[in-house]
Amino acid sequence: MSKKIEYKVPDGYFENLRTRLSAIPAQEKQLTRFQKFAPYLALAACFAAAVLAGNLILSRTAMPSASEDEIIEYLIDSDITLAQIEDYLILNQ
Amino acid sequence: MYEQQFRELVEKYSEQLYWHVRSIVGSHEDADDILQEVFVKVWKALPGFRGDASVQTWLWRIATNEALSFLRKQRVRAALRFASLDAEAERVIDDDPWFDGDEAQRKLAVAVAKLPDKQRAVFCMRYFEELPYEEISGITGTSVGALKASYHQAAEKIKASVELAD
Repeated sequence: MSKKIEYKVPDGYFENLRTRLSAIPAQEKQLTRFQKFAPYLALAACFAAAVLAGNLILSRTAMPSASEDEIIEYLIDSDITLAQIEDYLILNQ
Repeated sequence: MYEQQFRELVEKYSEQLYWHVRSIVGSHEDADDILQEVFVKVWKALPGFRGDASVQTWLWRIATNEALSFLRKQRVRAALRFASLDAEAERVIDDDPWFDGDEAQRKLAVAVAKLPDKQRAVFCMRYFEELPYEEISGITGTSVGALKASYHQAAEKIKASVELAD
């Protein structure tokens, strides 16, 4: 049996990859500049949160929901085992 | 200040790191996504890199941790969908349009994908990349003795898995 697995990549992939990866510092710097406005954004967010909170209180019937990715992050952070997840799912099926 | 250094790392290591991640996760699309995250982390951590480890060990450590984190999420996602881990391992290989191996290589790829995450990473670094145990130890923080035992167990499991599939 060959020691290598014959994986392939699209034509010109590595050239494209290097270009994309080399752009990371510029993208991250833009993010940093954006973060300078964070205090103003936080103020705006507080205002929006107050409006949302009012809205939530008025519509208490809505159930909280989380995305699958959020659930997965939560499960990983809580150190739960796959066996425990499977047991729970089987019990609640 | 660090941009030139970062670009040199991209030029020198991005392709090798791609194959390192690809050998662990199997799928091209997943390896591509992970590599982007790896280099974002490299960029953020570059000012704090003090050279305690070699650059290569440092990069491989970040990439391995990112690949392992991805595999953990993939396994939890599969569990939440009641998908069997073995079937999930086969799906990743069979759904990848960028897999070009024959049937024997497919069996090897699937058998590798069925290994526990850390054992899989150790096996890939030793078997496919042929890294010395000392270097794998620097990357994973595991002793050489434990790595040898892990590799031996992985090889036995792969042999059994391939024979079962024949």
